[in-house]
Amino acid sequence: MNMHTQPQRTPAETALIDAFGDRLSLLPGDGAVMLKRDDAIEAIKHGLPTRRVESWHYTDLRRLLNAVPDFDPAANAKAIAPIVDGSTVVSILNGKSDAKVPVIEGVTFQPLSEKLIDGSIAPGLDPYGSDDAIGALNTAFVADGYFVDIADGTELEKPIELQNLQAGGQTHVRLPVRVGTGAKAVIVERQTGDGAVLGSSVSQLVLGEGAEVTWLIVQEQPETATHLAQFKAHLGKNSKLTVFFMNAGGKLVRQEIVVRTTGEGADFKLRGINLLAGDTHTDVTMVLDHAVPHTTSTEVIRNVVTGKARGAFQGRINVHQYAQKTNAKMACNTLLLSDDGEFSTKPELEIFADDVVCGHGATVTEIDHDHLFYLMARGVDEKTARGLLVKAFVAEVIEELDDEAIVEALEARLDGWFVTHG
Amino acid sequence: MPAVQDTIDRVRKIDVDQYKYGFQTEIAMDKAPKGLSEDIIRFISAKKDEPSWMLEWRLEAYRRWLTLDEPTWARVHYPKIDFQDIYFYAAPKSTPGPTSLSDVDPELLKVYEKLGIPLREQEILAGVQKTDASELEEVSDNVYKSGRVAVDAVFDSVSVVTTFKKELAQAGVIFCSISEAIREHPELVKKYLGSVVPTSDNYYATLNSAVFTDGSFVFVPKGVRCPMELSTYFRMNERNTGQFERTLIIAEEGAYVSYLEGCTAPQRDENQLHAAVVELVALDDAEIKYSTVQNWYPGDAEGKGGIYNFVTKRGDCRGDRSKISWTQVETGSAITWKYPSCILRGDDSSGEFYSIAVSNGYQQVDSGTKMIHLGKNTSSRIISKGIAAGFSQNTYRGQVSAHRKATNARNFTNCDSLLIGDQCGAHTVPYMEAKNSTAQFEHEATTSKISEDQKFYVMQRGIPEEEAIALIVNGFVKDVIQQLPMEFAVEAQKLIGISLEGSVG
Repeated sequence: MNMHTQPQRTPAETALIDAFGDRLSLLPGDGAVMLKRDDAIEAIKHGLPTRRVESWHYTDLRRLLNAVPDFDPAANAKAIAPIVDGSTVVSILNGKSDAKVPVIEGVTFQPLSEKLIDGSIAPGLDPYGSDDAIGALNTAFVADGYFVDIADGTELEKPIELQNLQAGGQTHVRLPVRVGTGAKAVIVERQTGDGAVLGSSVSQLVLGEGAEVTWLIVQEQPETATHLAQFKAHLGKNSKLTVFFMNAGGKLVRQEIVVRTTGEGADFKLRGINLLAGDTHTDVTMVLDHAVPHTTSTEVIRNVVTGKARGAFQGRINVHQYAQKTNAKMACNTLLLSDDGEFSTKPELEIFADDVVCGHGATVTEIDHDHLFYLMARGVDEKTARGLLVKAFVAEVIEELDDEAIVEALEARLDGWFVTHG
Repeated sequence: MPAVQDTIDRVRKIDVDQYKYGFQTEIAMDKAPKGLSEDIIRFISAKKDEPSWMLEWRLEAYRRWLTLDEPTWARVHYPKIDFQDIYFYAAPKSTPGPTSLSDVDPELLKVYEKLGIPLREQEILAGVQKTDASELEEVSDNVYKSGRVAVDAVFDSVSVVTTFKKELAQAGVIFCSISEAIREHPELVKKYLGSVVPTSDNYYATLNSAVFTDGSFVFVPKGVRCPMELSTYFRMNERNTGQFERTLIIAEEGAYVSYLEGCTAPQRDENQLHAAVVELVALDDAEIKYSTVQNWYPGDAEGKGGIYNFVTKRGDCRGDRSKISWTQVETGSAITWKYPSCILRGDDSSGEFYSIAVSNGYQQVDSGTKMIHLGKNTSSRIISKGIAAGFSQNTYRGQVSAHRKATNARNFTNCDSLLIGDQCGAHTVPYMEAKNSTAQFEHEATTSKISEDQKFYVMQRGIPEEEAIALIVNGFVKDVIQQLPMEFAVEAQKLIGISLEGSVG
């Protein structure tokens, strides 16, 4: 994780290391899994990443993570209504998989604790790099979650909603999902809860040939929560993945999106909204590897910053040497609405192939005065006009999703946020 | 789409095996013993006849340097530098103050001849004091009539000569080597040295503060428009030496100065370190234009040898309405690590950065800029073109930030990269940090949005889009580069012609 040996451990680092010692006997896993856990806690012992670690440039975790709550086995969470009516709901309640597992044709749900005990998940537990603090933290402590398998050719009509609901203490969950050849699905990853929790959540998606998945991450943590999340995906030949995320809460949030195209013809879309308010810190970091020829990707991120919120978007597109004919585009636009807020962007391109089209654009501005004038000239008062413009700025990204039920559901979440923070 | 043939040919012409300035010269040298210690710093300081405050300043920097770690965040890789294996001081043994061409060490003369500097300029470079205005009239041709250039020639660790000093002095401009400035104008040096790049700034800047041996000093007083271009020509010659020069340019209220810098080095199998610091200070309404044609030895086709160019350049727009503009043409060095920056402290100040970086062979370039907006209504513009060929890695790294009080900060960034071949890499790492809601930052890596109006204007006259864009982007760079006095300005001109067709963003 952090290459520099830290001279002194922070209270948070000490708390995590102590918690590992205390929890060790309760953590499920065979020999292989336990070895991975040992490696992971070793990485944490080297210190949490600071600004000096390039991938954590805008989130000095060592400084920002200043409270690590104890595990709270008594805290209870209850399943909530899904954002899209009729979804198949699978819940993780304060870190534990719910005993009730739905039955739908072509889909297998298995509590992750079983896969930890039999060791079959062990190979997937490795962090993806020396700077992968979230991966290491999760591997050390992960106790449960769900493994979801969508069989080849399965076309789901209703979304599956994976709920990760926190109630207190620490939770560390993992959601590996395999989508078979030609299968189609909409998956909602819901991250919410109550209390001053510290949670890590790692989703791992593998898309088979020709599979099509829309994955929605809806993060609405309370302003007391520390939320460290990772979404990793491998895209098989001719597969299509659309990831949409909405960050609308949390005290300290880091959402990593790590995607790799492994089959030709794969297409990746990322659409995201950061709605930032209060005295909070939100970081979205994407690493996209175009590892094979003829793959495409587009990323559009929109940020609204109010209050004393601090936000960051880091997006890195790596085009490997053999990934000729890659077409990748990235845009990150920010509306900075308060003088106390701040937003930083780092849209990186790393290109090793010479026959590709890659572009990125980034802007940070306030509301366009011409637009405001246009509305006010028509008798709309300033507050309403501003509200309209800000909402339109982010809603544009949602509308691209092309599925009415989902668009409606997300716009409802958006409205909810504006009512509270407008 | 891949690069067009014309571009490939042009880049080939400046490939590493085509390096023209790789000769070395046998010249009797004065050298300090190898290695770095407080004693060496005392030696350098004594050689330069420096006052004690300067020595203390150096020692403090050295002690600080001992506590620092070498930075590793840049996208460059090289074996660890053994600082004990470098000569920190090497100067040609000179006869004091040659007054005619025949007095100058003929070997030194040959160097400038070989570097292709025109004869008359060479006379000037070699220190013949033909700086009298009437004599100049006699020898003048268009170059001198239209725009004379005063040159400070730095050979390894020392400035061998500075031309046109008298004439500049008449205008009130001080142009001399930094060693001389420390002796002759201590009050100015004390006031400004380290005020932009403090001794504690970064690993290489701190090292430079401890061991810098020479460099140029420019002071343009209030209301003076410097009557000619100023230029420094850096030549590294001696084996195993490091060059650590320090340049300090101050433009007082309403002053203007344009400064050009060129550099070359012999072809050698081992790597040599060049760690310079450049500080610019612009007070109210002042303007400084700083241009660089960097052509250090890039190493051979196998990546052996070449200069490590680890440079800290920073301009401080200290006064209101001040302006600093950086232009760089980078073709040399095995490794380049430099980020000419502007601190936009004064209200309504502006900063510019125009760069063309071409890498070939096994060259590694990690270069870009920083625009730090602190004052109100500050603006900055960044235009960067990176062209990577062979096995090279070319990174643009740029930071634009607006601080809390920097209301109405504006930035426009455009960076394009072009790859020639599939063994090289092009990287873009822009950092944008806004802490003020009135900031307006735009970063573009696509060539299509320079300015729709300008593009429309050009295209309307029948020029195809690609050419129109090239014309507009190059327009910024051209007006500065065209004024370069050195022979290799021609090379820079060729580079400008490189089309970005096939740009990968």
